[in-house]
Amino acid sequence: MAALEFLKTAELLKQGAEARVYRAEFLGKPTIVKERFPKRYRHPTLDEKLTHRRTTQEVRSILRCRRAGIRAPVVYFVDYTSHCIFLEEIVGSSTVRDHIASSQQSDSGTEQNLQQLAERVGQILAKMHDEDVIHGDLTTSNMLLRRSQKDGESELVLIDFGLSYISSLPEDKGVDLYVLEKAFLSTHPNTEELFEKLLKSYAASSKKSSAVIKKLDEVRLRGRKRSMVG
Amino acid sequence: MDHTQDLELFPGRRVTQMLFKEVKNATELRQSAVDGQISGALINPTMLVDPLQVLVAANKAVHLQTIGKMKTRSLYSEIIFNLSPTNNISEAFKRFGISDGDESVMVVVVHKKDEVQLLSDVTARVDGQQVPVEDVSSLSDPAKIKKLYKIAPQEEKCGNLLDAVVCRMATKDVM
Repeated sequence: MAALEFLKTAELLKQGAEARVYRAEFLGKPTIVKERFPKRYRHPTLDEKLTHRRTTQEVRSILRCRRAGIRAPVVYFVDYTSHCIFLEEIVGSSTVRDHIASSQQSDSGTEQNLQQLAERVGQILAKMHDEDVIHGDLTTSNMLLRRSQKDGESELVLIDFGLSYISSLPEDKGVDLYVLEKAFLSTHPNTEELFEKLLKSYAASSKKSSAVIKKLDEVRLRGRKRSMVG
Repeated sequence: MDHTQDLELFPGRRVTQMLFKEVKNATELRQSAVDGQISGALINPTMLVDPLQVLVAANKAVHLQTIGKMKTRSLYSEIIFNLSPTNNISEAFKRFGISDGDESVMVVVVHKKDEVQLLSDVTARVDGQQVPVEDVSSLSDPAKIKKLYKIAPQEEKCGNLLDAVVCRMATKDVM
């Protein structure tokens, strides 16, 4: 298959359980290729159906976000035979994770910077959930900060919509935020206040936030080492 | 003046775009295209933002041709169809193909590295002035493009018009 042959010459960036991520030049543009390879441990018919579904959901969510004004990589091409997605490479960016980590290490006015960042993340997630897009894998590694080509301001770009889907249920949105909370607090120690700021910003920016926050509180009471009393 | 790009996924094949202004024989060209006499796609440049738009359409067309899943009858009609945001083939031709009396044409040829003769064969049939392909941005009609692709103002926060158009072209089959 054309895409698979091509990938033999591309640079492998990451190998996950679900997909391999490569970097290459495509139609003259720096491109990221996400290949959902066949899983031999699954029944072949089921594997094909599931992989196809995940690929289309990813692509739909990206377009839906972009239509709402949320920055996500441009999709250049989708090969449904090899389940490869060819996406824009976001050059000149760093993850929010790295940004927070380095901000915490240095002392240069970090407090305000991080507060502002948390506010912006809250706003962008509110917008995403208002579009009924559930990201599914919200972590600070899946958010990029890039210097804008237009005015030099930094832009927030969401990436990795591999587990995303469309849903209007507050429960799904609450779980989306819970996933972020867990990832956030475990990756960045002593950031409870920062995350609170993020949630406040989310609540202020979304029209449907109260139901979602309520669900988030309920979800927090579930799970490991949690007493479901009351 | 031409713009040529190799198709990385299809080694040995490349896409050449040639832009012409002051075209006098659009009617004849269109008829030849309909009759399948021209080895090239004749596109209305007012609907084009950037050469990348054509490349994305051409890449998808060659891919579908390779796996035998084209929606239209030929590679060149498939390129025109891929440019369109809808699944209606005749509408695609109407909007993105050339019409009688058009004064500018973008000619797109998919060929092998050494098939230069093909290019001059096609160029010879156009009665017009060849200009650099990059000039296409001066011919595009952003308002018409935004309306046809249904691009809302809020999407412009994410990127430029080209980004919005390319994304829609790439995801047309699942939306």
